[in-house]
Amino acid sequence: MVKAKRLPRVFDYLTDEDPFSGGLTLCPGCPLELLLRFTARVLGRDIVFVGTPSCSATVLYGQNRQSWHKLAYYSCLMTGVASSATGIARYYRKIGKDITVVAFTGDGCSADIGFQPLSGAAERNENFIYITYDNEGYMNTGIQKSSTTPVGAKTSTTPVGQNRRGNPNPGKNVPFLMAMHKIPYTATATLSHLDDLAKKLVKAKEKKNEGLAYIHVYSPCPTGWRFESDMSIAICRLAVQTNYFPLWEAERGQFRFTRKTAKPKPLTDLLELIGKFSHFTDEDLIVLEKEVEERYQLIEGMVQAWPLE
Amino acid sequence: MRAMNKGEIRTLTGNAAAAYGTMLCRPDVVALYPITPQSEVIEQLADFHARGLLDAEMVEVEGENSAINVVTSAAMTGGRVFTATSSWGLAFMYDGMLQAAGFRAPVVMVNVNREMPGILAVSSGQQDMTSTRDSGWIQVVAEGCQEILDLVIMAYRLAEDHEIQLPVMVNYDGFYLSYLSEGVHLPSREDVTAFLAPLKEQPPRPMLVPGEPLGCGTHGILEGFVELRYKHSAALERAKAKFDEIDALFQEAFGRSYGGQIEEYCTADAEIVLVVSGSAAGTAKAVADSVNEQGAKVGVVKLRIFRPFPRERLIQALKGKKAIGIIDRSVCFGWGCGPLYMELKSASAKIGKAPMLNFIDGLANTDITKDHIKGMIERAQRAAGGEPFQEVTWVSLEE
Repeated sequence: MVKAKRLPRVFDYLTDEDPFSGGLTLCPGCPLELLLRFTARVLGRDIVFVGTPSCSATVLYGQNRQSWHKLAYYSCLMTGVASSATGIARYYRKIGKDITVVAFTGDGCSADIGFQPLSGAAERNENFIYITYDNEGYMNTGIQKSSTTPVGAKTSTTPVGQNRRGNPNPGKNVPFLMAMHKIPYTATATLSHLDDLAKKLVKAKEKKNEGLAYIHVYSPCPTGWRFESDMSIAICRLAVQTNYFPLWEAERGQFRFTRKTAKPKPLTDLLELIGKFSHFTDEDLIVLEKEVEERYQLIEGMVQAWPLE
Repeated sequence: MRAMNKGEIRTLTGNAAAAYGTMLCRPDVVALYPITPQSEVIEQLADFHARGLLDAEMVEVEGENSAINVVTSAAMTGGRVFTATSSWGLAFMYDGMLQAAGFRAPVVMVNVNREMPGILAVSSGQQDMTSTRDSGWIQVVAEGCQEILDLVIMAYRLAEDHEIQLPVMVNYDGFYLSYLSEGVHLPSREDVTAFLAPLKEQPPRPMLVPGEPLGCGTHGILEGFVELRYKHSAALERAKAKFDEIDALFQEAFGRSYGGQIEEYCTADAEIVLVVSGSAAGTAKAVADSVNEQGAKVGVVKLRIFRPFPRERLIQALKGKKAIGIIDRSVCFGWGCGPLYMELKSASAKIGKAPMLNFIDGLANTDITKDHIKGMIERAQRAAGGEPFQEVTWVSLEE
């Protein structure tokens, strides 16, 4: 009898039970919890998480002698995540132990204060996985602007008033910058496309044997962006469908889209759900639309010029 | 007892001596980042690695902040580690230094002392070391090239001792020692391995284990933190006697001894004692010899460990003296004196009523000359005779 062929489903990628305790101290609707539980279940137990004070610390740290998960965890300062992951991975390499080191930080760390060591680790092609959950700002400290905050967005350090209209800067395209280091693996991912994320985590685990694997995860923040707590995954999906956050991967400078949106939805479908854009005028919208379009074209151009087969 | 092996003699700079000492201790992970006057240390280590003499993971980091984080995390994973820095590099790793100490990571780091008031202050001075005295690290100081090499070996024995488990900073004067060539006894690899072997017999230190729910650096607030601070402080106190003990063991293994926390030179019947650390100690001893030949009674105490502060040994050595001169190669801002003087003043109740004179000298490559030392001795002698004296003297400004 011929067995019915089917594509792998999300649950097929889970290798282990959930190592986190039930009930974590995150805001209701925060997709970070899903990301951490999912990442750990796909990658398995032989991992060491490396992280820093941030929203993820409320999940990864524990308090005093109490742990909130069953994994080894190294916590360090925001300046030292990629370098600490380097030290751990290098020692395991020295003693010949195959361990997956997973640096896990927000965008404030990877795009701003921890960018130098991250870039250094990429240049040295260190053997670990670095995952950024991008909530477009410093959410744990109270919704301040980071260098991935989108242009025009309102934060507590880029307010809207008579003299300014939110964030004046387009921000850094961090996953693209990481791909330009020509590391073995770079990918974008989000929580509405778990099968895509799972494949990328599996690939990152393989590729970390060749060098640095970087995954940039779009992770909406209900508290900081001001949207309803049941809308997180819908916002993730709309970010992909509007081309605001295209899903792609790159290997050593060669690019491929992993989801192609045939007919992108208008950007306003996404923005109207999110409070940090509620002050937008038509002029503000044009500026952000242009940035979104340019970023998409940049990846499209890379896919055409340097395709990943 | 094993046969003493003084090893072959090589002409080495202070930096090369530090690198040889490190290579002999076989670190697992080395972080390399250049800065004057330290760069030769990491260049020499890279050369050892290229020639197959050093089997370590060499991480050519993109800044000192990464250097300290690489070695701290590797140490917390179970490795023996090394890095080297100086002045601004030390300042750039300050957050990571506090973390290394808070984690009780047995990191060994060379810090080649250099001034840092301006970008171009490429000159000797101990301000970098004294400015980080409250970081929770052990800070030891060498006087010459042989002592640099020996101190690196002793530093591993101290840092990785399970009663201590703290990072150790090995200091020596930039320029005066970093580029000075001296004859150095090079111990054999086997002897150094044997000297460090007892570290392997100890109970295993806490470290990251994949698959185990063990966090590193996750200590938060309230009781856990207070207990951690208390134990850290207690370990630093223990490091004093441990350093003396390691010095004695080193003497047994290699035939060289430095006195542990402090070296006392002609102090037994001295009336005047100079307290000094680093390369200037040699000058002070030479001047003491020459004035003692003329009938003076001058001794020298060389401070070999600045953190923890060797107060018990200093009190013992200085008690009952007629005057004490304290030479500082850095400044304690806010007290208008030098750090060493300020700290010895804290112990003065137990030292006695002897006048204490502070001499700030040798900042930014201004030499601490024999004449300067002679002048210090004369001032101390007059103070011992009951004359009024100036508490703090910036020596090179009074010439």
